[in-house]
Amino acid sequence: MDFSYKQLKKKSVPYVLLIPSMLFVIGVLGYGVIYGVVISLFEVNVYSLETPFVGLKNYIYIFQDPTFLNSLYKSLIFVFMSVVVGIILSLVFAIALYKLTIMKSFFKGLTLIPYLISGIAAATMFKFLFAGDVGMVNQFLSVFGMEEVLWLADEWLALFVIILANIWFVTPFAILILLAGLQGIDEQIFEAAKIDGASKLRIVFQIIIPLISSMIGVSLIWLSFASFNMFDIILPLTGGGPGRSTEVLAVYLYKLAFNDLNYSMASAVMIVIMTLNLAVSFVYLKVFKV
Amino acid sequence: MNLRSFLYKNSTQIMVWFIIVILFVWVLFPLIWTFLSTFKQPLEVYDTSSFLPKEWSLSNYHEVVSDDNFFRFFINSLFITTVSTILAIVCSVLGGYAFARYAFRFRHILLLILLVPRIIPRASLTVPLYMGFAELGLLNSYTALIISYTATAVPMGVWIMSGFFKGVPKALEEAAIVDGARPWQLMWYVLIPITLPGILTVSIFSIREGWNEFPFVLTLTTSTEMRTLPYQLYMLSDSMGIQNWPLVNTFSLMTIIPILIVYLMFEKKVVNGIVSGSVK
Repeated sequence: MDFSYKQLKKKSVPYVLLIPSMLFVIGVLGYGVIYGVVISLFEVNVYSLETPFVGLKNYIYIFQDPTFLNSLYKSLIFVFMSVVVGIILSLVFAIALYKLTIMKSFFKGLTLIPYLISGIAAATMFKFLFAGDVGMVNQFLSVFGMEEVLWLADEWLALFVIILANIWFVTPFAILILLAGLQGIDEQIFEAAKIDGASKLRIVFQIIIPLISSMIGVSLIWLSFASFNMFDIILPLTGGGPGRSTEVLAVYLYKLAFNDLNYSMASAVMIVIMTLNLAVSFVYLKVFKV
Repeated sequence: MNLRSFLYKNSTQIMVWFIIVILFVWVLFPLIWTFLSTFKQPLEVYDTSSFLPKEWSLSNYHEVVSDDNFFRFFINSLFITTVSTILAIVCSVLGGYAFARYAFRFRHILLLILLVPRIIPRASLTVPLYMGFAELGLLNSYTALIISYTATAVPMGVWIMSGFFKGVPKALEEAAIVDGARPWQLMWYVLIPITLPGILTVSIFSIREGWNEFPFVLTLTTSTEMRTLPYQLYMLSDSMGIQNWPLVNTFSLMTIIPILIVYLMFEKKVVNGIVSGSVK
């Protein structure tokens, strides 16, 4: 009896150790996802006390709703531009940091700074840079005799500004991921390539990039996720405006839930966002074999 | 050696430094521009004749600090961040050890439960969490924020700690047990000191999370006194009409400085951990 009790006690150790973390993860995140799925199948809003089961009606509705489709479209542009420009910048900066012979750790540490700043603070800085009246960018342009540009009042310029701010905010982490990949490369490969007379461009494209392709995959996942779910930067910078021109999915969801108080529709959007996230990461995992 | 051959020989390094300078400016320019404006008078930012402030006045800093509300929001941020970080560390150490050292049933499922949340976007969780905490009567409470911040920090934390515990040689633990160390002594005197870099990494992740978090505090609180620093900054910069930019920027900078100090204190130990933690 004593023996089996002891065994049971021993066997239960890992489960006991995992209780606190599982409580948080399942209790908050798991609950959130499941409850979100449930709400999206009912009609829950503040206008009626009844909450009838409506099945997929919310999903069918949003996919016919031009506002939602506009958000989806704006999200795709936002993510696509952020990821394409972000990954090129990250690669260039990572290779430069890798090739640096002095002050490497200083610049490496400095690179990560935007990652530590809150999205709100980053947005405030970019709002200040691009403000119509006091903005540094306009003051700079006026030196060349150009007229004041109202960056945040034009739909495409506003989109440009949030993409720029987003790239500033999310690339540092991608740079460090790529740098970690570069530092894992055996340097003898470069020596061999040099002896064989490979040009610098060829070394970059035919040796470096293939060798760190899995890290490029991880960076792409990071850039896509961070951009796709970006909320903190966009809300203070443009609030989704002018009009709905910068209203990406996360902002649309927020407005739907907390301005229109339509929780069911917002939950349906939440499930769509999560499905897209899953699909995107699946594609990257397949392509880059991370 | 003439200039031409010098340039040719060092062309790689010249290019590298050219890019590094761009990186330097790109990263720091928004910060420096904001920093310079914090010394200016409200109308001085409209003056395009000089980029530097006319006099380096600390009046904006004085104004931000002397506002009672700032202190309140600062304490809110500090309290929520500290408690959720401590909770996240405890969960991560225990959970990470379980995954690193034990083979048990459901290991894979539990690991999956832990990894999948990393792709759940935070902003989308606001709706169910808002409704859930409303039912529990926990809106406008520290509890709701601490619980949600801890929950978002735990998955990454367990993962990082599991990696660090795997790096500890088993023989070391066995030796301690032979010497008669009790489990908590083994944890406290052997494992925790060795895995301290891991714990620091988890802390930085969690501190960053708690200090900068926005969607949860925006949706789970409504009363002014529950605001954290990012929320208040959002309210400040969102106000309509003519902005007092120097004041907003000073506030903004004062929310950034504490986390930069924490980061610089542990930077060397943390940068690599941050990267490896997220990549694995």
